[in-house]
Amino acid sequence: MEKDLADFAIEYLQKLGASYVEARLDEYSGNSFVMKNGIPQISSFDNVSGLGVRFIINKTLGFLSTNELQKEKIKSIIEKSIKTTKSASKLNEKISFSSEPIYKENYEVKQKINILDLSPEEKLKILFEAHKLLKESKIKIPGSFFSLGDNITTEYIATSEGTRITATIPRVDFMYYITIQENNKTSQRYWDYGASGGFEFVNSWNIPQLLLNEAKACQNNLKKGKKCPKGNIDFVVAPQVTAIMVHESVGHPYEADRILGREAAQAGESFVTNKMLNTTIGSKIVNVVDDPTIENGYGFYKYDNEGVKARRKYLMKNGIINEFLHNRQTAAEMGTNSNGSSRAVDYDKEPIVRMSNTILLNGDYKEQELFEDVKLGIYVKNFMEWNIDDKRFNQKYVGAESFLIKNGKIQYPIVNPVIEITTPKLWSSIDAIANNTEYHAGNCGKGEPMQAIPVWFGGPSMRLRNIKVL
Amino acid sequence: MSQELARYLLEKLKKENVDDVVISLSSLDNTLIKFYNNKIATTKTWNSKDLGIFVSIKKRLVSTSLKTFTKEAADSTVKKILAFSKTILPNEEYNGIAQGPFKYKDVQETYDKKVLDIDPVDYVQKGINIALENNTKRTAGLFETSVADVYLLTSNNVEVQEKGTDLYYSIRALVNKEESGHIVSNSRVLSKLNIEKASKKAAYIANLAKNPQHGLPGKYDVVFDHLSFANIIDNLGYQFSIYNVESRLSCLNNKLNKKIASSKLNLYDDATLPNGINSISFDSEGVPTQKNTLIKNGVLKTYLHNTSTAKKYKTKTTANAGLVAPHPFNLVIDPGRSKDLISEVKNGIYITNVWYTRFQNHDTGQFSTIPRDGIFYIKNGKIDHPIKDIRVSDNILNLMKNIKSLSKDQEQIRSWEVDTPCFLPQALIKNVNITKSQ
Repeated sequence: MEKDLADFAIEYLQKLGASYVEARLDEYSGNSFVMKNGIPQISSFDNVSGLGVRFIINKTLGFLSTNELQKEKIKSIIEKSIKTTKSASKLNEKISFSSEPIYKENYEVKQKINILDLSPEEKLKILFEAHKLLKESKIKIPGSFFSLGDNITTEYIATSEGTRITATIPRVDFMYYITIQENNKTSQRYWDYGASGGFEFVNSWNIPQLLLNEAKACQNNLKKGKKCPKGNIDFVVAPQVTAIMVHESVGHPYEADRILGREAAQAGESFVTNKMLNTTIGSKIVNVVDDPTIENGYGFYKYDNEGVKARRKYLMKNGIINEFLHNRQTAAEMGTNSNGSSRAVDYDKEPIVRMSNTILLNGDYKEQELFEDVKLGIYVKNFMEWNIDDKRFNQKYVGAESFLIKNGKIQYPIVNPVIEITTPKLWSSIDAIANNTEYHAGNCGKGEPMQAIPVWFGGPSMRLRNIKVL
Repeated sequence: MSQELARYLLEKLKKENVDDVVISLSSLDNTLIKFYNNKIATTKTWNSKDLGIFVSIKKRLVSTSLKTFTKEAADSTVKKILAFSKTILPNEEYNGIAQGPFKYKDVQETYDKKVLDIDPVDYVQKGINIALENNTKRTAGLFETSVADVYLLTSNNVEVQEKGTDLYYSIRALVNKEESGHIVSNSRVLSKLNIEKASKKAAYIANLAKNPQHGLPGKYDVVFDHLSFANIIDNLGYQFSIYNVESRLSCLNNKLNKKIASSKLNLYDDATLPNGINSISFDSEGVPTQKNTLIKNGVLKTYLHNTSTAKKYKTKTTANAGLVAPHPFNLVIDPGRSKDLISEVKNGIYITNVWYTRFQNHDTGQFSTIPRDGIFYIKNGKIDHPIKDIRVSDNILNLMKNIKSLSKDQEQIRSWEVDTPCFLPQALIKNVNITKSQ
């Protein structure tokens, strides 16, 4: 890694008048394997290096990037960027950053099974085994799409204030889409798996078996599923559904840049305002954290892309809005300190406020105990369609594998139950939380150009009382 | 030097007896100004130079890129490709790339050297000022300029190069937190970028959206403005790719030559569209691009193919490579005759923008999408009052079948959630299912 290029960019920008410079040099190497309907499609290996630099000049923020890593090229793009940024200073927002400690550290995530020790053939074999198991099941699967990937990124962050962090993070990921047919009806399931670490995580997912389980569940729902009852009923949602709810309606609306309006024309703003800090929005038993330091989390890091030390943040504590996600800019604007939430997906994207691993904390119940009190309800194990509005207030989750609960017992499958609910109603309807936390992986979209960044979201099963179903 | 290196790589790979090689060399120079609360948040300036390599060896397909532009790095990459290919398995469905050489026709209005000399800050300032002068309080958005150069070289006698420019302006104007309008202006040439029109319309919608009331669920006739209709068409567009049809990530399986939409709908994919954002004279394997009719009078006419998938289905390529997965370039819908769709609605809704479109089942087309920015209840041909907090929960094929009327005016839309540019009118769609939070 040519760290001297980052240091060169800092020196050159300072020479040209920048009051702050933060340079990030990335080296990425990765592999990906795609299979469609049992046939391998294309296999890829890639090596990418690049430099991304943020700077402040005339109290205006500028960002530049290049993958042409020669000093003359870097000088040239710096000069172009300085010209545009100086011009922008006539209409700038007079940027300032919170004051933060300086760190110097090297760290890496260890792999138990190194992704470089396995051949492409061994990786593809997992997808073949999965397809074989599905074929042997005799379940009619007219469409399947699998993607398996691994990569290692080494990132060097240097700032004009003296920060020097080098981080090496390996990641593995798997995504599937399957279509199940029964009679003339179809059902689909999609999900992502991901972790920071080695191939031991891919092995732990047991891809062939998880796909077989999914196919069987879809088939069962197609064969035996009945319509969802209407009226006011209870819901017990499993960890996968809790996970998406936490991400969409706790994580996103607590991003300080959205609250301040910076994402208004892209991912949107937030119904949450600065004045809502320390006010109640959920049941007393609801505690949600965003924690980049969870070992092997898909959104793991020890220092964010501004060099701020990462820590666990309580977004919601006992149902009260407790803390927003901040970078140094939003922290300065709201009169606080950064909590280390600044991330960029690649060298060529500006770091912005992001989630990392966002989790509803465990409650005291076993999952089974959540059913016992339910006279009429739905157990939603996972979902397909979901969305939420740009202020993060109105959301919809449509169940995939779902069952009727009657007098505390699971009965028969239910077809596509819908939870369409506001954020305050959702989090204040929860009266019991189980202790079966799972972590799920996703690539969260935000910013322009779009940055799909690896995150975990998770939590245990939880019970929602008295939800209206039309 | 870069093109020389591409040719060096090609010859080196050919000597190794590989079956197909496609090398694409691209350079990109971009500037983006992001603004919010009427101020510039940041400038972004970036360039990249990429050399992508696709190789087929006995149907074993490998893609990679060259990190360093030297002969030593090229030699090392060739060795890695050969070693990598030995450890993967063949794609038995793969049928090769197109045989050149080809003749190409210039696509009009895709490059404008004036784009290289503008100060984007001036354009942003103009846009913000227009929105504020039109009684809005806050603005947010971006202005991006791009200059691209693409060079394609294949083992089947293709060598072609094209330059392009691109301008993208997006503005959301707000009167209050829930009173906003969002409009984009897209062009390949400076003369057709219309920041003034976009800013004025965003401000107009924002002012019209003052004091929204809660919308009610039910079936409505809905007027989709260009931005919201483009989001839906973009979500249908990728489903024409035969790759997605085979994966069942498409609601168009087994529907070739069947009526899938209103007779009023004529949909094309056109990479030759003058000033089209994704217009280009060749596809990823070097086949000259063309205008493809996807839906004619409501009937599905073709899926999108590359040479390999076309051979499998005994048809001709539609020049939509994607070397593995064909894809649309610019989705175009014929205009209708209506000057004012709202006047045709007795009890309906006007939706100016949507986002977060997600499918419950691609195979059936069941989906939902959420309106954002100005949403309006229409009564007896006129906007009655603004509404909020509703969702379109329906089936995308139902929407296509229920197109009642299309407007005369077309706009080119590419936005944060519209990946494939769409050149289309507004649409009036009857009986759209609207839901809301309970």
